[in-house]
Amino acid sequence: MYRYTHSWIRRYTSYLQGKNKAVDKSTKRDPLDSIKMTHSLQDMRQQAAIAAKVFIQRDYTNGTVCQFQTKFPSELETRIDKQQFEETVRTLNNLYAEAEKLGSQSYIEGCLACLTAYTIFLCMETHYEKVLKKIAKYIQEQNDKIYAPRGLLLTDPIERGLRVIEVTIFEDRSLTR
Amino acid sequence: MPGFSSGGVGGGVGVPATAPPRPFRPSRYVPVSAATTFLVGSTTLFFCFTCPWLSEYFSFVIPIYVAVIFLFTLANFCMATFMDPGVFPRAEEDEDKEDDFRAPLYKTVEIKGIQVRMKWCSTCRFYRPPRCSHCSVCDNCVEDFDHHCPWVNNCIGRRNYRHFFLFLLSLTTHIMNVFGFGLVYVLHHRQQLDTPHAAVTMAVMCVAGLFFVPVAGLTGFHIVLVARGRTTNEQVTGKFRGGVNPFTNGCLRNISHVLCSSQAPRYMGRWRSPQAVEVQPPFLRPPLTEAQLEAKVLDNGIQNDRHSTRSKSSLDQMESQSADAEPPPPPKPELRYPGLPRADTEESSLLTEAPTTPSMYKYRPAYSSPGRNHTALTHPNKMIRGESLDSPSPSILQSSHQPSYRSEPSSLDGATVVGGGVGARRGGGERGEGPGGPGGTAGGISGGMSGYSLTGRSYTSYPSSLVLSTGGSRSSSLRSAQTAHNPLATLHSEGTTDTSYKSLANQTPRNGSLSYDSLLTPSESPEFESAAHELSPQKPHAPFPSATITGQPEVVSPSTRLQGYTSPFLSAQFAQQREGQLLQGSVTFSSPHRAYLRAVSPPPPASSGLPEIQHLLQHNQDSSSRASRNPSSSSSSPGARSLEPPVSPPPRGLSLGKSQSYMGEARPQHKTRPTGGGTVLGGGAAGGGQQAPQSTSRPVLANHTTSKPAGGVKKVTGVGGTTYEISV
Repeated sequence: MYRYTHSWIRRYTSYLQGKNKAVDKSTKRDPLDSIKMTHSLQDMRQQAAIAAKVFIQRDYTNGTVCQFQTKFPSELETRIDKQQFEETVRTLNNLYAEAEKLGSQSYIEGCLACLTAYTIFLCMETHYEKVLKKIAKYIQEQNDKIYAPRGLLLTDPIERGLRVIEVTIFEDRSLTR
Repeated sequence: MPGFSSGGVGGGVGVPATAPPRPFRPSRYVPVSAATTFLVGSTTLFFCFTCPWLSEYFSFVIPIYVAVIFLFTLANFCMATFMDPGVFPRAEEDEDKEDDFRAPLYKTVEIKGIQVRMKWCSTCRFYRPPRCSHCSVCDNCVEDFDHHCPWVNNCIGRRNYRHFFLFLLSLTTHIMNVFGFGLVYVLHHRQQLDTPHAAVTMAVMCVAGLFFVPVAGLTGFHIVLVARGRTTNEQVTGKFRGGVNPFTNGCLRNISHVLCSSQAPRYMGRWRSPQAVEVQPPFLRPPLTEAQLEAKVLDNGIQNDRHSTRSKSSLDQMESQSADAEPPPPPKPELRYPGLPRADTEESSLLTEAPTTPSMYKYRPAYSSPGRNHTALTHPNKMIRGESLDSPSPSILQSSHQPSYRSEPSSLDGATVVGGGVGARRGGGERGEGPGGPGGTAGGISGGMSGYSLTGRSYTSYPSSLVLSTGGSRSSSLRSAQTAHNPLATLHSEGTTDTSYKSLANQTPRNGSLSYDSLLTPSESPEFESAAHELSPQKPHAPFPSATITGQPEVVSPSTRLQGYTSPFLSAQFAQQREGQLLQGSVTFSSPHRAYLRAVSPPPPASSGLPEIQHLLQHNQDSSSRASRNPSSSSSSPGARSLEPPVSPPPRGLSLGKSQSYMGEARPQHKTRPTGGGTVLGGGAAGGGQQAPQSTSRPVLANHTTSKPAGGVKKVTGVGGTTYEISV
């Protein structure tokens, strides 16, 4: 009987120690977690919140050629100049037209690809991809110079499958304060 | 060559749209493995047994030439097999925000003067660009979708059509080479035909000869397609049979576009450059013009959002109309950004009036292929509210649900606004558009259609929707629907898709792939104007799920339509009261529970010409004329509510669905069934839509399952266990 209670006491104390250890572990984690949390909260406060998104749809009046509508969406009326925006979209349309152009470069590229059993695509970039890089750079530059200072952000339409240009409108907290 | 239906042998049911990892279906790989085996095997045998003699006897150039052609064939085969055909990535949730419940299933665009319909893809959550189609085998929307080829186990789309076409050309050439040179060998070894070399050569010749017929047929077919600037999908579904193809630029340009254009970019799996732009307030603002300043002053401090001004009137109207109707619906689940301006939240609450039961808008019942059985396409948000495509404008403009309609023009204009725009999407669209075709029997189907998966789509001219629709437009849309070239006239619109809502389409992932036989049955091609279909006598059993009460005023006249829009229930009530006077198609409802009722409008007069329509018209006119007398009072929701008690006693008791909010929106539904009287469901219908015949098949509203009318009584079950029997 004594032996039993003794072993029980031993078992019970080890159980309690185990529990304490678990508790210790959790307490150990806590300070770091709270620090991380406050840090991320500060990050969140610095970045502007997204208020809305406008989607500029494709303009299919000329068939399946990649073109976006230049119509100025009403949501952006208070945020940016109409001319500026339309200029951006028009430039994008021109760039896409250049990408899809049936010119000598695309023809040569096609022939070369056929001759090399398409292995040339492993080393070379297609004409369309080159223009897409140009477009990405243009959008980045437009964002930096024109749209970000106005609380807008253009998303490269290639990320949406060339279906829409996504314009993110950020919340203007300076007004609300 | 045994015929395989692509994906059919190994259990070819499509997975739900939301399941990312698709089950491994070995049957899909059988045709492509067979094709590869035959191609590589036969050519290897040819090189081993026939070519040595040929190079000795004639010249060494022959094997080199055959090898070059073979390598070209193989390269194009590999590109066609492994290249991304132009898959669209799924749209992000933000793009989709606006509506789900009210957006139309179709959006019309004008391409070079021709109206082309863009359908809402419930799987991919966007309106399919022109020439895009959703392949049910691959479960993706593919740009410039040609067909799904089981021999390469891949969709043929914009990016790999060239490779596929060149593969066909080079394969035809290769087969001719092998056959020709094999023939030369055999003719020179007529006395030694028992040697293994000759035997193998003859075997290879047999295989080559066997494959030559279908391959050459397919090649010829595609040469014609390229010259005409059409895709297989368009050719087979007869989209441009009588009309003009807006996508052609002339024969020479079409050919050069296929062969010489730069390779289109991949949309999937692109490396996204991290956004390095930091957007921090304060932001620059454009200088306000004088007019804008004035407007601001007069605005009285209302926040800038234009939607608020647009939706305000609609808000007022809606509130006035439905003031007594029901308690405000629970707010939509938070899908929006936290920083939305007030106006948007107003609108969002407006939008969320649709679901009266909080849990219901999340309900996504399994979708069984439409046209087969319209089982319980329950969608609480009832698209009922959704606009039907031909909803009459007066009611639309005046009624409340109109934030959705209001935004329609903007969405049509192309700038889809998440916060404000409320496009309604129609559900019920079929998702699987690329059926696993009958796979390809080697025995060539003429025109090389073997193994093609086809989608039934049409570019019939489609009336511009909702927002701009007026009473006149409705009839005009009907006219256009009828005159629209509709090669698959016998095809029954899929019942639910026309005029159905995106929400329905979204919630019902289509698990069945459209097989070839479904193409042949009339239930294919939801995009065809349903006017002709539904009224056609070829469909004795319309997949019309809803029990309906006759007498939708809209059907009769635009004025009644307007009123009917506001109070379908009331009209239903009156229709009910007059039940005894109705000639036929008495509907008996025994519904202890509330159920959704759909207003079904009898076919509009414009579409008459079919006996059953006339019949229905007469039928409905009785009740509708009576119902139309009470438009003003109908606006009160109590009227709708009051329907319930009196409903039960009479045999034609109506039980109103939970969607009280849809009261004002009950849409007349066109009854597709030629038998029986027209029935009208009082259910939420958006905008009193007089849907043109297309709207008839609206599974969304129904939430019912209809058994096919067999003689006397049809049983219709609604959501919540409501069952009613319709005696025919």
